[in-house]
Amino acid sequence: MILSTFKAISIPVFLAALGACSSQVTVHDLSIPDPLVEKIPISIAVKFPDVFEHFVHEEQVIDKKKWTLDLGRSNALLFTKLFHAMFNDLTVVDDDVDIRDMPIDALIEPSIDAFEFSVPGQSLTSSFAVWIRYRIKIFDSEGNQFANWPISAYGKSLGTAIGGNEALKRAAVLAMRDAAALIIMRMDKATGISKLSRQPLSSGTSNSEAELAGPVKEEPQITASVDTTDGTG
Amino acid sequence: MELVRYINVRTSMLGKLLPLVLPCVVMAACSTARIEDTRQTATGIHAGESVVIIPRSYHLGNETEEKFIKCVASALGRGSSALRVVPTNEFVDALFPLFEPRTQPSDSKELPDLLEWPGVAEMIADKGVRYLIWIDGDTEKVAGGGSMSCAAGPGGGGCFGFAWWQNDSNYEAAVWDLTALESAGTVSADVSGTSYLPALVIPIPLIARTRAKACKRLADQLKTFIVTDEST
Repeated sequence: MILSTFKAISIPVFLAALGACSSQVTVHDLSIPDPLVEKIPISIAVKFPDVFEHFVHEEQVIDKKKWTLDLGRSNALLFTKLFHAMFNDLTVVDDDVDIRDMPIDALIEPSIDAFEFSVPGQSLTSSFAVWIRYRIKIFDSEGNQFANWPISAYGKSLGTAIGGNEALKRAAVLAMRDAAALIIMRMDKATGISKLSRQPLSSGTSNSEAELAGPVKEEPQITASVDTTDGTG
Repeated sequence: MELVRYINVRTSMLGKLLPLVLPCVVMAACSTARIEDTRQTATGIHAGESVVIIPRSYHLGNETEEKFIKCVASALGRGSSALRVVPTNEFVDALFPLFEPRTQPSDSKELPDLLEWPGVAEMIADKGVRYLIWIDGDTEKVAGGGSMSCAAGPGGGGCFGFAWWQNDSNYEAAVWDLTALESAGTVSADVSGTSYLPALVIPIPLIARTRAKACKRLADQLKTFIVTDEST
């Protein structure tokens, strides 16, 4: 009797103590609204790397608390919805598919270069912030790399009103929405993807030339402006 | 007899405490508010037209509390001269991605370009939004002092001391007219007040609700600003 009472009390106490040392934030139910955008009249395929489809970030911050952010498939869902809205035709392909056999104009391969966050204990503010650096590689229908575009997305949420886990989740969702907004409003200008209308790069144009001619030339400008903006937040 | 003596002691304690507590209560009620507006164009709103409140982006350094935005939206939609307020999230989602923190316009001069974006003019017309109200500002603790100590033992516990702090709620609302595609003007509210926490066994918080007051005064002034066409 005493033993069972001890167990009944000690297990929840132990779990509560464990919970105080770690926090798990999951973003599995991300939904973005239908964007207002004019479709780019090309057909694309999208290839999501494994890590992109099951992204989990773990970090022990200075207050010794361990945070786990599980974005699950939300990135894949976000980019699928986004590209559906932006392009005439979209096909999601597996890693082993040879795109040269497909009737597409371009292949887009998004990835996550870096993921960072800050909690009030680090920033000495009441805000939670999330930075995600995505990279979007674009290939033409022959498989030649056409553009390589990094995007720095940022989200911030005040922690006082809705609690730590919810605030961090909201900051992550805002960062993902930020990336979506950037892609919708700047992708064509930054990468020139609309030019890939079933026109493979000629053999005389190397990948590096293509990058210098368009996207990569803009890349530092975009990154710089993003970093500057992030710095204010 | 004992009961009479007990009541006498209580009354005399109250008599001693009252001069200490009363000024605090009176002072707590005294916050100062300054409401100003600057009109640039004529305003006015018709039946079926609405307003939407958007917090300025955190990319521009804004820290306006979500609670304050909700408070102003709620206050605008109540009472005399109530305005129809479109919920912020509904508007931001309907115009995605144009009102995200990074992409939202930062100047009324950007309005013509904004309305040229596919679907924007139709969506705004569909929601009947006539005015965008951009809110910027926050509530800060600007000063404080005093000290208080509390102790507890088997026989009971209590606190003794006195603490105070001063809050400043400073907010500005810029009103953009989506029909004229220009700024109609700004309304600002600056409320400052001091809160007190005297404690003689039991702490008695006397809080100056500067944010709530700023919300109410800003909303009242916004209603007057939008509904009353002072140019006529």
